[in-house]
Amino acid sequence: MSEQRYLEDVSAGADMPPMVKNASRAQLFLFSAATNNPHRIHYDREYAAVEGHPDVLVHGPLQGAWLSQYVMDWAGPLGRLLGMSWQNRARAFPERDLTFRGKVTAVEGDQVSLEVWEEDETGAVLMPCTAKVRLPRRREPQ
Amino acid sequence: MIGQPLSEPVTATIMAAAAQRFALAAGDLNPLYFDEAAAKAAGYRTTLVPPVFLAWSLNPPRPLSEVRVDGLYRGEGKRVTLNVKRVMFGGEEWEFLAPAYAGDTFTSETRLRSLEEKTGGSGPFVLQMTETTYTNQDGEVVARARGRSIAR
Repeated sequence: MSEQRYLEDVSAGADMPPMVKNASRAQLFLFSAATNNPHRIHYDREYAAVEGHPDVLVHGPLQGAWLSQYVMDWAGPLGRLLGMSWQNRARAFPERDLTFRGKVTAVEGDQVSLEVWEEDETGAVLMPCTAKVRLPRRREPQ
Repeated sequence: MIGQPLSEPVTATIMAAAAQRFALAAGDLNPLYFDEAAAKAAGYRTTLVPPVFLAWSLNPPRPLSEVRVDGLYRGEGKRVTLNVKRVMFGGEEWEFLAPAYAGDTFTSETRLRSLEEKTGGSGPFVLQMTETTYTNQDGEVVARARGRSIAR
């Protein structure tokens, strides 16, 4: 289980520890199955070439799920994910490291704003994202 | 057309097993999805559905005859039809307003929010925004998702 993070421990500008994902082709298949998504660009390399892709692609929604995992793991079980917004900027491929990074951009009351992103092995940003979470206080104010 | 529903509302129950299958396929072992005691200790009634799974869990089952050659399902219901070469999925914006619990029954409804013609570096394009509202069986709105897609 991820550790609990408290409001007292965060401040604007602080970096979030990175999370690395590397999707196997089998994982892509399982994600297609779990979301009932038969689009061939995620499991049929020959067909992916027809749509102009050099290999099968990691699903956009899988990368969205990873972004929410990254933020929820950072916040810990008592944290609450209030919202997130991401853009699909570039394709992601299997069997390559995809690194999630982020930082705290603002703390207002018990709400923490985060800027997070997914980057490929060259450091290119594939999915920029902003998120907002609510964190518990170590001690409730008197 | 703006504000109109793009399809009939869809209602489905999300069981814990389906939510866990999604989490496992994403490599996400968060105990809030798997362990009832952990979920209760964190202030929840029972285990959760991974928040973004809401978007993929309410689609009704479709027959093979509706699968196109590219693997996508044929469109159904009322849709915005644009005479364009391709549509790119531009991004998503989510608001999470209440916990989505495994075993709950959710209804989703998607409306067209805006349709704007714009000019970019590589020519004109149409920016389409849709909004989907997810409501649980108690009538509580658990999430809102806004989707952006770009057609050119």
